[in-house]
Amino acid sequence: MKKKLSVMLALTLVFTILAGCGSKSSNSGTSADGVTTIEFWAAPNPTQQAYWQKIAKEYETVNPKVKINVSAIKESPTSEASIQAAIAGGSAPTMTENISRGFAAQLANSKALVPLDTIAGFNDIVTKRNMTKTIEPWEFADGHQYVLPIYSNAMLFGWRTDILKEAGVNEVPRTYSEVIEATKKLKAKYPDKYLWAKPDLADPTSWKRWFDFFMLYNAASDGNKFIEGSQFVGDEKAGVDVLTFVDNLRKEKGLLSQNVTEPFENGVGVFTDVGPWTFSTWAEKYPELQYKENFEVTLPPVPDGMDPANAKTFADAKGIVIYASASPEQQAAAIEFIKWVYSDDKNDVAFFQETNLPPARDDVGTNEVFKPVFEKTPVLQEYAKAIPNAVPSMDNPKFNELQTFIGQEAFNKIVRGEIDPKTGWDNMKKAIEGELQ
Amino acid sequence: MIEKNNNRLGWLFASPYLIFSTVFFLGPLIWSLYLSFTNWDLISPTYDFVGFKNFTKALGTPGVRSAFWVTYKFMIVFVPIVTAMSLFVAVIVKGLPKLKTVFLIGFFLPYLSSGVVASLIVKGFLSHTSPVQTFLRDRLGLDIDWLGGSFSALFVVAMIMAWKFTGYYALILTSGLESIDQEVYEAAAIDGVKDSQRFWKITLPLLYPAIYTTLILSFGATFGIFTEVYQLTGGGPNYATNTWQMEIYSQAFKNLQAGYASAIAIMAAVATFISIFVIRKILEMWGKRNGWV
Amino acid sequence: MVGSNSNIKLRLSIRYLIAIVLLVIMVFPYLYMVLNSLADWSQVDRKLIPTKFTLRSYQWLFTGGETGITRPWIHAFFNSVFVSLVSTALMMMFAIMVAYALAKLKFRGRDSINNFVLFHMFFPAIILIIPNFLIIQKVGLFDTYWALIIPKAMSLWGIFMYTNFFKAVPDAFIEAAKLDGASDFKILYKIMMPMSKSITTVVFLFLLMERWTELLWDMIVVRSDGMLTLNVLLSQMFGPYQSYPGPMYAGAVMLTLPIIILFIIFGKKFQEGMQFNLK
Repeated sequence: MKKKLSVMLALTLVFTILAGCGSKSSNSGTSADGVTTIEFWAAPNPTQQAYWQKIAKEYETVNPKVKINVSAIKESPTSEASIQAAIAGGSAPTMTENISRGFAAQLANSKALVPLDTIAGFNDIVTKRNMTKTIEPWEFADGHQYVLPIYSNAMLFGWRTDILKEAGVNEVPRTYSEVIEATKKLKAKYPDKYLWAKPDLADPTSWKRWFDFFMLYNAASDGNKFIEGSQFVGDEKAGVDVLTFVDNLRKEKGLLSQNVTEPFENGVGVFTDVGPWTFSTWAEKYPELQYKENFEVTLPPVPDGMDPANAKTFADAKGIVIYASASPEQQAAAIEFIKWVYSDDKNDVAFFQETNLPPARDDVGTNEVFKPVFEKTPVLQEYAKAIPNAVPSMDNPKFNELQTFIGQEAFNKIVRGEIDPKTGWDNMKKAIEGELQ
Repeated sequence: MIEKNNNRLGWLFASPYLIFSTVFFLGPLIWSLYLSFTNWDLISPTYDFVGFKNFTKALGTPGVRSAFWVTYKFMIVFVPIVTAMSLFVAVIVKGLPKLKTVFLIGFFLPYLSSGVVASLIVKGFLSHTSPVQTFLRDRLGLDIDWLGGSFSALFVVAMIMAWKFTGYYALILTSGLESIDQEVYEAAAIDGVKDSQRFWKITLPLLYPAIYTTLILSFGATFGIFTEVYQLTGGGPNYATNTWQMEIYSQAFKNLQAGYASAIAIMAAVATFISIFVIRKILEMWGKRNGWV
Repeated sequence: MVGSNSNIKLRLSIRYLIAIVLLVIMVFPYLYMVLNSLADWSQVDRKLIPTKFTLRSYQWLFTGGETGITRPWIHAFFNSVFVSLVSTALMMMFAIMVAYALAKLKFRGRDSINNFVLFHMFFPAIILIIPNFLIIQKVGLFDTYWALIIPKAMSLWGIFMYTNFFKAVPDAFIEAAKLDGASDFKILYKIMMPMSKSITTVVFLFLLMERWTELLWDMIVVRSDGMLTLNVLLSQMFGPYQSYPGPMYAGAVMLTLPIIILFIIFGKKFQEGMQFNLK
């Protein structure tokens, strides 16, 4: 009995010591001399991180009462999981970028976010930055804005026109039949090449569908929503068309889902989704890839009979959120920082220039200030032009599970040839509706 | 007097372990049981009790079902391969008069690699444009999607494990081989046992205790497969390599379902316990029946 | 059983040949890793043996390429070293203490504790991960060195090994020392430990290696860059925005080399220890 008591005593001692030593330096706040420290997590993209680090430093010189620590979000297993783990561990930052509409819905549902419109200064940002139209579709059902969209990538598909020309395909194919034809010609000339070589095609991870399935689906369904509120409203004809198209590509041996390093850049594949962020990486690693010489970008291919010039696509748009766990001083400081950043157009221009991501503004294509960016990287004009055609992601809190079903039940299986398009769609629909209950 | 001193001393010396196991073993065990009956998601401030719902839901998901079967599939592939390989290595090395240590250490080196490193190397090695894949395609006309096929993905992971553990088990088996008295062989030769029969009739039976050890270790290893699967396949394709650990990790730290994941962990623990127990009994009985133990 | 001298020599040579071939196959992945870390970027994963070499991969690791974003490789290396060494030292210290109690001290409850240790050792640790994570979070140790060290400061296997070893030490030694008036601490320090040199090498190396290559735990209890261990950093480093195979291999070399060097240095002692232990 005595021994048990001494053990208990020792235990309590240990716990007290542990708790006592438990001071984490990462939890910032307002220090004694009035300096507010905020933690800013930038997207796991080197150019974005570099941008925010630079501009945060600049802001600190203008406002010495604020210190901003910029670091990158971890991507393991996904950037979303990383943020959730931080919240769970009690070490959430003040603000992060790279938040999609769907993820914001999930976080807001768990009461982890601050409604931005309730913080003084937010509405000024929206007006000054010319983004009233852009931010409209971001509003949530409760009438609040939880995300300040930073950039909006209208996703386009890239084509290796140089390789296609060698195979006798002189015009970029725009409809499904044209693409299949091109694939046949490609395989005839280069049996070792593929139309669409991308390991993600067989990966069920939810966000990967944004860059294959949703691009095609949005085009085929002319922007029809997929999930509205808690209802599945997918356009079955369009969906089955998309799956059949992919299935046909597989039949022509035009798909490769094995692990390859950078297949498009290395010419193993000639068709893949290309986001505007890719171009700065290409400048470093593949300087021989030149717009209009080796590659072009277009809106997604459409089923025969639809107009390819007006195809809809996916809007990979992300923004900044502020976490409820931040102190009121930190929240105010965060808004002040953002207000300063967007009070001057030159910062958006710099962002555009350094990351190649089009800022989420109504006037990207029209405003003079952005001209130099387009002059330096002409291909970005296509992205600016496509912005009105781009449809953002769903705002259902369960978007992760729902989108995983798309891959698991339908898309991945089609790519591997394990199921037929109609059955795949039906199974996917069943799984999604089951989860939505 | 001495008795009492000894008592206090005993508990004192053992106290680090006692404290540790209370805090990090018993406590968590009970907590885990408790969590498994809730639907907590790690970030919400509130949660509910859901009784056995987590368990019934888990039994119905492909994730948990696959976790159950995949372990045994790994056993079927991994254990025979690694046993054969390590036995072969041990036999070869034992007969080397010089440099034995060099070889034993050399074979042991794979055991030191982190699962991350091994997986990354394999991923690069088997990528589409690698020399291996190119050779297979150009010369043998084989286009194998190693990580995309259900069996091949499992096979690849099992082979990585076999690579890792062969040297380690070989050490154990070499030791076992060396403890067999030369006189036994001499006596056997006198009795007319031919050289070719020597291995099967004499060596293996005498080696059984060592083989028993490596078998238990290798069976046990299959329950703990995580890193390689996490790094290489994420449990896929289509759950083909989804192990218990992978499933629990996915549910707990990707989907943030703490309660649900705890239920799965308990199911995993039960399955592991029972399986190991059964395997041990079978191996012991088999050994006894053949008079090897 | 007649074999001419040359026959025996032939069979021996074949044996050595097979052994060498096997060895090369076994360590081939390491060779592949090293070669690719030094290979020109156009040849990584393309050629079995590179013909063009460069230090660009290592350079990239430490300078972060064109974007200038450095990843904390050196710091992660230090973290791994620090955490592994401290954890292992603690594991050994506790193992020796506890094993002495279980093997040599007679006290009430000893057998139950012995059984409990076995129970703990074979209990599937899977169950404990989530609650252990929550404990760390609740006491506010998330993302600290404590989180990496304390929950891993005890090794059941270590206790088991030392207990068995100590049991085999004849009581006579201890009794003699006691008659001379030595305290148990002194006995532990001056008699048991020197006697267990062989097993200590084995246990130390094993525990160190295991801690060094830990992934799951180290991954879930840290968040900030400063707390990453090398193994976790390597695992997370190369995501969709950054696929740089050359530097990946360089990082792998950084992770693997120290342990291999350690084992080669202590190779003989280790092997002897294993032999002794297995008997």
